[in-house]
Amino acid sequence: MTSTTPTMEQLPPVDAPAPHRRRRLDRTSLLNFVIRNSMVLVLILVMAYFSYRSIRFATPENARTILVAAAPFALVALGQTFVILTGGIDLSIGSVIAASAMTSASVVVHNPGSIWLGVVAGVAVGLVLGLINGLVVSRLNVAPFVATLGTMTAGSGIAYVIGHGAPINGLPSGWGKIANTTVFGVQIPVLMMIAGVIVAYLVLRRTSFGLRVYAVGGNRTAAEVAGVRTRRILTSVYVISGGLAGLSGVVLSSRVISGPPNLGAGYELDAIAAVVIGGASLLGGRGSVWGTLLGLLLIQTLNNGLDILVVPAYWQDVISGVLIVAAVAVDGWATNRRSS
Amino acid sequence: MSRLLSRRLVLAAVPLTIALAASGCGAGDPSAKGGEKQLRVGVTVYDMSSFISQGQEGMNAFAKANNIQLLWNSAGGDVSAQASQVDQLINQKVDVIIIVPVQADSLGPQMAAAKAAHIPVIAVNTALADTGSLTSSVLPDDVAAGAQEMEMMAKKLNGKGNIVILQGPLGSSPELDRTKGIMQTLQKYPDIKVLAKDTANWKRDEAVNKTKNWLSGFGDQLNGIVSENDDMGLGALQALSEAKKSLPIVGIDGIQDGLDAVKNGTFIGSSLQHGRVEMAAGLAVAQMVAKGESVKKSYTYTMPAITPENVDQYYKNVVSDKDTFLRRLPELIAKNLASGDIANEQ
Repeated sequence: MTSTTPTMEQLPPVDAPAPHRRRRLDRTSLLNFVIRNSMVLVLILVMAYFSYRSIRFATPENARTILVAAAPFALVALGQTFVILTGGIDLSIGSVIAASAMTSASVVVHNPGSIWLGVVAGVAVGLVLGLINGLVVSRLNVAPFVATLGTMTAGSGIAYVIGHGAPINGLPSGWGKIANTTVFGVQIPVLMMIAGVIVAYLVLRRTSFGLRVYAVGGNRTAAEVAGVRTRRILTSVYVISGGLAGLSGVVLSSRVISGPPNLGAGYELDAIAAVVIGGASLLGGRGSVWGTLLGLLLIQTLNNGLDILVVPAYWQDVISGVLIVAAVAVDGWATNRRSS
Repeated sequence: MSRLLSRRLVLAAVPLTIALAASGCGAGDPSAKGGEKQLRVGVTVYDMSSFISQGQEGMNAFAKANNIQLLWNSAGGDVSAQASQVDQLINQKVDVIIIVPVQADSLGPQMAAAKAAHIPVIAVNTALADTGSLTSSVLPDDVAAGAQEMEMMAKKLNGKGNIVILQGPLGSSPELDRTKGIMQTLQKYPDIKVLAKDTANWKRDEAVNKTKNWLSGFGDQLNGIVSENDDMGLGALQALSEAKKSLPIVGIDGIQDGLDAVKNGTFIGSSLQHGRVEMAAGLAVAQMVAKGESVKKSYTYTMPAITPENVDQYYKNVVSDKDTFLRRLPELIAKNLASGDIANEQ
């Protein structure tokens, strides 16, 4: 299972062709191998470039830096994976993060003794907003883009209402413990990310629920005919996404020990980018936890490496944007080739 | 990465217009109180930020003490929403309009319309490019604030060392001015080197990651972190604690958590931009204009330096004892306008 959570040290060996392949290195099999693992190769190339440019990139501390930064994104990207697999999209993630963080912050600022109450409240807000998304999509048949756009708008409003238009300051230092406690040298958000990836992988690959998620995204009518309760599946993926966004909001708020009402703005797009880079189709039915993880690591590695090389922020945006499209284009080309 | 796009999306989808009619003395009959006609001042602010909510408290306190009715509007960060709010205020024939602009080079037609309707306009906190139609403005000196924080850091480093700078959203006027002040001061200190400067968009969560990446990249070469606001400075503080390092940090704004950081010594200092004082001063200028008194073309709010020595007093005014401060605010503002030092809190 560790293979689903690669650290930078674990990844490089994939580069070398597998040993059994050595008997006859014909062009087609090599090409097929490259195509199948195109995103891994892109990630390795990016990492190799940064390592070449700076001796400070490939260090254990920097690996930890990347993973801690990736963790809150990973939670929402996993949720987004479930949603996108059903052919939907969740635009409300950023606002759900904000609403959850603000709820947690306001609970904790009034009850400095009960940190856990803040966590529960934050996740609960995420679950409720996710449930609303799910019901509106599955029962009222509102297009996911529109339904979650509504929640995105309202959720951001709620975040500002909770803070009376301002960030919540003066949180107890105990609130910071959630994100900043280390277990075996690893910060809790990273452990959450690892656990999240493993659970999501198992759910999608080894349970009938996971199978149904793919089925609904592949062809909803066919799934229904086959006896899948598609409405329930649809509702549940939005609840999963909302709950994970709520958890992400708690983690982010704890990490900076404050409740900013604009927290998480834009995270939905980074999450969608990670899922899409990972080879998922926005039409549903295609995508994987492994792919999302690769996409996420690619984005976070770029953010980190470009900062280390002191590339100005506006150039970072240009480079990231181009790489996202390039990655998806390569993947699309590879898929076409595979199927032809 | 895609922050900008998402912002656009939010703005396009949500002209979040909180129109609050917050009147200092209740929306009573204007002529009810005494013989003097109650002044009606229209206000439109860029958004309900923490600075603005502070400012609203200050303006309400001043309005209550001076029998002024405030017509309060928030543009939710949308230039066109602000334009229509100004139009509405002109239609309502308010006595004076106070604008806290979303964007400096905006509202040209509205200013002309206000001028035609003989309604004086006062800009607070952000300059408006069309100064010809402005009666007066009350503006913070962001260049001085940048210079002030860089001076604090230079002193702390004894004029020698390597720093990084966390900037506001690139191209926004406070970012440009604060960066300018920092760079001007740096010319006096040739031995201080800027290893990197980049934006974290005023945000703590972005600043944590940015600073951690820099800590990875520069390791022990780094000697200090200059942040253009307190929130990003607090993000840098978090990054340092995760990396188990300790470096001097300086911020600007004097928000509650920032003042706390100065108190417990994790920030070497900050500069106070006190919304209650600055925006109440704007209202006081509006009142003078309405009464026909002569006003200066421009008033400058020079942010007081917050240091470990004086932080306790400011902490009382901003956080722990702000109600007492609001009670004495109207008197303080009148005194400040007479003396010309509008940032004074003594």
